[in-house]
Amino acid sequence: MLSVLPQYAELHCLSNFTFLRGASHPEELVARASALGYSALALTDECSFAGIVRAHVEAKARGLKLIHGTELRLDGGMKIVLLATDRRSYGAISALVTAARRRSRKGTYSLSPEDLDRVRESEALLLAVPEEKKGSVPIFLRKIGTDPNFAGRTWIAAELHSGPNDRARLNELRELAALCGLPLVAAGDVHMHVRSRRRLQDALTAIRLGKPVAECGRALYPNGERHLRLRTRLAQLYPPALLAETVAIAERCNFSLDELRYEYPQELVPTGETPSSWLRKLTEAGLCRRFSGGTPPAVRDLVEHELRLIAELRYEAFFLTVHDVVSFARSRDILCQGRGSAANSAVCYALGITEVDPGRMSMLFERFVSKERDEPPDIDVDFEHQRREEVIQYVYEKYGRDRAALAATVICYRPRSAVRDLGKALGLSLQQVERVSKLLSWWDEKSALQERAREAGLDPHSLQVRQLLALGQTLAGFPRHLSQHVGGFVISRGPVAELVPIENAAMRGRTVIQWDKDDLEALGLLKVDVLALGMLSAIRRALHFCGMKAMDEVPVEDPAVYEMIQHADTVGVFQIESRAQMSMLPRLKPENYYDLVIEVAIVRPGPIQGGMVHPYLRRRQGIEPVTYPSAEVERVLKRTLGVPIFQEQVMQLAIVAAGFSPGEADALRRSMAAWKKKGGLEPFEERLIRGMLERGYRREFAESIYRQILGFGEYGFPESHSASFALLVYVSAWIKRHRPDAFLAALLNSQPMGFYAPAQLVQDARRHDVEVRPADVCVSGWDCTLENRAVRLGLRMVGGLPEAAGQRIAAARPFRSVAELARRAMLNRKDLRCLAAAGALAQLAGHRRLAHWLASGAESRPALNVPVEGAIPELAAPSEGEEIVADYASLGLTLGRHPVALLRARLDRLGLASAANLRKRSHGSIVRAAGLVTCRQRPDTASGVIFVTLEDETGTVNVVVWTNVAERQRRELLTAQLLGVEGRIERDGEVVHLVARRLSDHSQLLARLAGPLAARSRDFR
Amino acid sequence: MRGHAPPEAGRQALAAVATWLGQFTPRLTLEPPDAMAAEVQGSLRLFGGIGRLKTRLRTGLAELGFEASLAFAATARAALWRAAGGGSPLEELPVEITGLEPDALDLLHGLGIRTMGELMRLPRDGVTLRFGRGLLAELDRALGKIPEPRLFFVPPARFAARLELPAPVTQADGVLFAARRLLVQLEGFLAARQAGIRGFTLAMMHDRALPTPVAVSLAAPSREAAHFLLLARERLQKITLAAPVEAIRLEADDLEPLPGATAPLFRDARAAGEDWTRLVERLAARLGGGAVHGLAVHSEHRPELAWRSTAPGVKAPAALAPPGPRPLWLLETPRRLGEGDFALLAGPERIESGWWDGSEARRDYYIARSGDGSLAWVYRAADGWYQHGIFA
Repeated sequence: MLSVLPQYAELHCLSNFTFLRGASHPEELVARASALGYSALALTDECSFAGIVRAHVEAKARGLKLIHGTELRLDGGMKIVLLATDRRSYGAISALVTAARRRSRKGTYSLSPEDLDRVRESEALLLAVPEEKKGSVPIFLRKIGTDPNFAGRTWIAAELHSGPNDRARLNELRELAALCGLPLVAAGDVHMHVRSRRRLQDALTAIRLGKPVAECGRALYPNGERHLRLRTRLAQLYPPALLAETVAIAERCNFSLDELRYEYPQELVPTGETPSSWLRKLTEAGLCRRFSGGTPPAVRDLVEHELRLIAELRYEAFFLTVHDVVSFARSRDILCQGRGSAANSAVCYALGITEVDPGRMSMLFERFVSKERDEPPDIDVDFEHQRREEVIQYVYEKYGRDRAALAATVICYRPRSAVRDLGKALGLSLQQVERVSKLLSWWDEKSALQERAREAGLDPHSLQVRQLLALGQTLAGFPRHLSQHVGGFVISRGPVAELVPIENAAMRGRTVIQWDKDDLEALGLLKVDVLALGMLSAIRRALHFCGMKAMDEVPVEDPAVYEMIQHADTVGVFQIESRAQMSMLPRLKPENYYDLVIEVAIVRPGPIQGGMVHPYLRRRQGIEPVTYPSAEVERVLKRTLGVPIFQEQVMQLAIVAAGFSPGEADALRRSMAAWKKKGGLEPFEERLIRGMLERGYRREFAESIYRQILGFGEYGFPESHSASFALLVYVSAWIKRHRPDAFLAALLNSQPMGFYAPAQLVQDARRHDVEVRPADVCVSGWDCTLENRAVRLGLRMVGGLPEAAGQRIAAARPFRSVAELARRAMLNRKDLRCLAAAGALAQLAGHRRLAHWLASGAESRPALNVPVEGAIPELAAPSEGEEIVADYASLGLTLGRHPVALLRARLDRLGLASAANLRKRSHGSIVRAAGLVTCRQRPDTASGVIFVTLEDETGTVNVVVWTNVAERQRRELLTAQLLGVEGRIERDGEVVHLVARRLSDHSQLLARLAGPLAARSRDFR
Repeated sequence: MRGHAPPEAGRQALAAVATWLGQFTPRLTLEPPDAMAAEVQGSLRLFGGIGRLKTRLRTGLAELGFEASLAFAATARAALWRAAGGGSPLEELPVEITGLEPDALDLLHGLGIRTMGELMRLPRDGVTLRFGRGLLAELDRALGKIPEPRLFFVPPARFAARLELPAPVTQADGVLFAARRLLVQLEGFLAARQAGIRGFTLAMMHDRALPTPVAVSLAAPSREAAHFLLLARERLQKITLAAPVEAIRLEADDLEPLPGATAPLFRDARAAGEDWTRLVERLAARLGGGAVHGLAVHSEHRPELAWRSTAPGVKAPAALAPPGPRPLWLLETPRRLGEGDFALLAGPERIESGWWDGSEARRDYYIARSGDGSLAWVYRAADGWYQHGIFA
């Protein structure tokens, strides 16, 4: 039977990257076309290449021929499809899409028939898709039919979808083709991979038109025929010649995205040098700098090994590009640090891309140099967050705006946005939709939808709600629009626009390419991640306060630093400041750099879900013996006491214990990242367990390794990133231990960043005996400064004050009155009000109310003749409570008493204990406590537990809220500012948790602090 | 005073209350969205002093279905503020009742000023500098230091007139002659206001029975008495009276602007259009409103839902061509067919639509020749064949 099926290539097919039209993922389309035995599939998203890399990867895996093209609607209404035959026509189409997109606002495009001149010289193929309209021949078709440039590569597409009269339609198209002298070819105008996506496709149409699906009428497609149809069905619909023509066209399209590799920029290498020779020269120079006493032999071997592989795989450009960017940053005193597998290579250490000494680490170089993998090395570089823009501008300047561009981030539907859009499409009232989508708070999984619907007062069994839930599950994960990636640059040899289309971003003047980071990685294109890291800004500032210039001046392996870390005294320290990290530190007791590498990686959902944490801790504490099933495994796991903790170790285990090749191990890594979403680890399970059994491992061990791999899922943390982070952990901890004043000032000057708000940082510093002085127009600069080891708050802490105004104040001192301040620093009334609110006018005006009176009396625009200040009314000084509330409102912190201290008597009467009191209670006791909520966090583990941190004048309380309590007391949990908790004390050494049973909201007490008639409750975060 | 009414009622509710308050004083001003001020100084004696007046107002408003907060003061401004502040003395009212901008309120809080009393004690020039002249002026108006001219409420335009018949009439159309007088009066009233109406009510009053109302509605706004009379006649002819008519009353409200255009000299093209409108009106008047309707193509794939009936005279949206061959006669319920009952001629046209409302159609339509030789529109669904329409 199979032999009588006609061959068919689908030449007109949209994926969900044609937003709100296509109803299937590119991968789904490719998989279906392959299953149906199509000869080829052309992905022709409307004016977009955004989905083609995903399709390309899938098509390669399935051995399906993929054709790249695009559907375009020209001004005047004619719809066409362009198909690439070779690299040149691909580039021409890409440039055409770019032109059409760049002249229109985000998400739209416009293209005139004349624009097709851009593809005239190339070998692009053109299918015209005429409207179903009787009468005259479209002018476009007449013209293109007689255009010698397009002769032999233009067709009219016959797209039959069981409409009112397909036979008549086909005859009509035949006549049209004859009139224009163009051949006819079958095509499907495919919008979905299977017919069952029809409802979703209708719903997408409704969302696109912005009205309920019931009102869309004939704007919807009349049926679900726009799917990848069975070839038997196509044989019934089309004459054989039209089907054969699809295959003939497909045979002319022989461009693969794989051809785009190696289009690296060339200017990094001076004339007379090859990329290889130049990289070697730079590496040797670096080694001389790093190792003044001569390169250690082990490092020398590593360097030779790495350089050989880099040359073999032609990856020099990656290293040279990153080196160039890093050298620029160094020349500007911008602190930076590379991370990723390649970043922690010996070569990168020599090039100054990383500070992690290869002698200190056993690096897994294979992660980026497997010959079986077509993937480029992974180097991300973090820069000080407030100065990253300078680096970005450098890249643009060096390569030109046409050759360097930022990667896209594909913004996808999440359950909440899916429900919101679908709810409207299904005709739910706005209120209902808002209720459901509000209830979907940030921790909800897809499966929670039904429960949420019930809570919102919707019947989960009604037709609308069932449809909402069913469609919502599919729509979640659909791409929605493209946004700019935070810092992933693609740099090309020729114009980027001929590599991938560029379109306008939402922000004016910004553009974005149509591929995201993963796309670039999958194609092996040259990509440099220029990322922003707040901690680097803080570290550079702190080093500066301490009179140091670079991180390598910080003394290494200081025991005092590790002692502090072991007591979890780590507020503000990079990475290890979160609740989960802090409760791990006293148990893991890090005592050297490598322990920090482990600490950074172990408190992650991967190791936690894989069940690695407890075995590791037990072994570390000597409770459990450290054993290895074999010598090979010992080599891989020795540094983590036989428990796999890093992503690399899992891969290496697969290699040494199950006989995977490095390439297969990497495929495993990528599947690990994806299996939660798509599944697909089963083939590896079989292979892994068989491989281990064959090599003499016990089935029990094999299965435990497999379970650990599953647990790792997408959250496995690579050692190579951990190693770079651990260095910053150490440096920031060293500063906190020895110079808490410099640490606080630097962190405040680098806000917003990190886990804690300024209020908590200041509280913590004061607990460490750092004196903190108020912001004051008479002494403060814009930044926070050190006054002989006391921290003086800077004017930057004053809410609403523009930096320029702050700088003028610092430059125009001294002043004797508010009027003089206003005049000399050219401040307007708004600036002065901000200063008054912050209490920064105290020296000039007296208490805050007087400061407000004087500030508001200034001219709204600074004038030369400042009026006399007039009569000053008698205003009573504000109460302490009002002062504290006003401090929080303006500065986000108070230097006065903690707000909870003022409520202590009341809380005592309510039987709510303080944090200090809780520390004295024994394990298992039942207590009641209350404090300001400073943090709510739900770790990415699926267990559903929520961490809440309460703060009062005596310290913090770590509250654990399990799912059942969280569900029952959602409102208190999410909205209370002053939260009361009744629960049980759980103690494990130094680690104390309060496990909540009941929550109560006492926020109304806070509102009273500000006085009887306070306008609204203030935010104490 | 301040009241609570459902928000959608809004201004209308306010106007209704104001109309009722008109019995106490004509000097009324509306303060949307939910307040009004009434000057009662002059009427206090008439109504027996403040205490009594309060009671009357409260009872009356409650009967109207409103719950109001009443406050009295020497000026309208102060009274309104006190009403908003729950009746407290002016000095103790919170500064928020001034309705100042959030910025200004913020400053007052910053200064620690919470009440109107505190506010009034601030230095006047300082207040002017910080809050502008407006705030002081408001304060002065509240204290009666400067007058506050206000626009008084004017009751809405509405026509109502009554006519006693010289002798009781027993036939409904017998009232036509009298009705004509009132309708002409109505035309004059409308013309003076450059307005038209979409309907009026003619009530026939009886001696010992409830009135018989006849509501006449129009397809388009109009103010021609002759036109009104024609429609009234059509309606009156169909009415049987329960009792003799002693008097008639004509009411019309909801005036719409209708400029110019008095009676034309010649019948022109526009007039021809009006004739069509009047035909529809007369048909509707004779057959009853529900019996006459228009028909329009509706944008929908399921054939049984691809049309709509419309109100007569309402223009259908831009004409929509049928998507394919459609029979003019569609069966109300598709008729089940046996396999051999027909021969397929053309098709299929596949329609899969309507999943969202619980009556999803998944059908393949064909044009078929049925046993009696007629052209039929048939479809195949999951459960068999159906005839849905007849071409000829």
